[in-house]
Amino acid sequence: MEWLLIFEKGIWFGLAAMGFAVLFNVPTRTLAPIFIMGAFGGLTKAIMLHYEINVIGASFAGATLIGFISIFFAHEKHAPPPIFAIPAVIPMVPGIFAYRMMIGLISLAGKIDNTAYTRIMSETTNNGLKVMFILMGLATGVGLPMLITRKDSAKDLRFKRNRKVTG
Amino acid sequence: MAENLEKQEIKDIGDTLLEIAMYLLVSGASTGRVRTTVERISANFSFNTYILISQRTILLNMYDGDNDCVFNGLKRTPPHHVNFTMISGISRLSWFVVNEDWGIGKIKEELARVKQLAHYPRLVTLVLTGLAGAAFCRLAGGGPLEMGVVFIASTIGLFIRQETTKLNFNPYLCIYFAAFTASMIAAGFIKLDVAKIHEPAFATSVLFLIPGVPLINAFSDLIDGNLNNGLIRGINGFIISFTIALGLLTSMAILHI
Repeated sequence: MEWLLIFEKGIWFGLAAMGFAVLFNVPTRTLAPIFIMGAFGGLTKAIMLHYEINVIGASFAGATLIGFISIFFAHEKHAPPPIFAIPAVIPMVPGIFAYRMMIGLISLAGKIDNTAYTRIMSETTNNGLKVMFILMGLATGVGLPMLITRKDSAKDLRFKRNRKVTG
Repeated sequence: MAENLEKQEIKDIGDTLLEIAMYLLVSGASTGRVRTTVERISANFSFNTYILISQRTILLNMYDGDNDCVFNGLKRTPPHHVNFTMISGISRLSWFVVNEDWGIGKIKEELARVKQLAHYPRLVTLVLTGLAGAAFCRLAGGGPLEMGVVFIASTIGLFIRQETTKLNFNPYLCIYFAAFTASMIAAGFIKLDVAKIHEPAFATSVLFLIPGVPLINAFSDLIDGNLNNGLIRGINGFIISFTIALGLLTSMAILHI
């Protein structure tokens, strides 16, 4: 039952990714790959969270998986990798943490007594840092295939032969 | 190749490169991608191109084989609006230029075609965004009732955002209106006691607005060493998040949630 709930999450991750894909106006041929990538990336995160791995590490792992699959689909469907990767990682953007951080920041600015201030301050810092590190993890994970192969373009990841640079 | 080009043709190439950079930037490409694409196309004409990219302006200089400056241009960009079909189209264009040695006429033709590619029908966008909101709510721990509430809130919120954008409001203000509407609807349902689990329903009703592209691009730019652009995109993302929070706060203040 527990695993069923985790796998159900995959569908919702995929659906959220697809919603954002349409919002970002991606080409139609990339919609199905984005659903698959969103689902698998999200599942990776959910499974790792289930084994009580830190949310930052789990998001990074999910984004890395998405980054590598995006290279495959980029060749398959002839579109740059970020087109697939960005909508697919959006469901992992820490919306709830960002929401709590913002509410915290705003209540810190209001009339507030000292004990409450310390408590809210520590919660807000915690949430804010989580947001920052998760976002960094997502961006690094998505870019990881490019970073470790030291290539500027995903096209070069497949064409091993030396292309003559014109000009 | 550069020697045979007429002055008019060089100007044409420069203008087109500026236009391509502008479209890439406003459609949500990272700074590195804009630079690589422009350099890839101009290398095919045997020009060295240097480009300075900032959030609202692009500066481009082209040098020929003798290192003489043959073109320089500055272009102001319109407000950013994420459009991945444009990025994909321009990326394909740039590879056609390299692999099939396209001339400037053909590039302009293809650019005009890419610009005209259709958006998704409005209803499809609205419904799928609503579904994405519902999915977010489910992931945050909401049940079917909460998902329904968030679906309605997200759909109407996005509708408001599209309408206010059409009326030419300030982009941040459009997001504020959308966040306010969506959270107001969610809060209304919570007040009526339809949604039993409050935090997911309320917080996820505005998640369709999260600045995912600015924030992810901000960090990819920072990793890439484009610190200026990265910081500016990050601040943009932060202001958008702040605006969303203000929208939430307004409805919290009105309905006392």
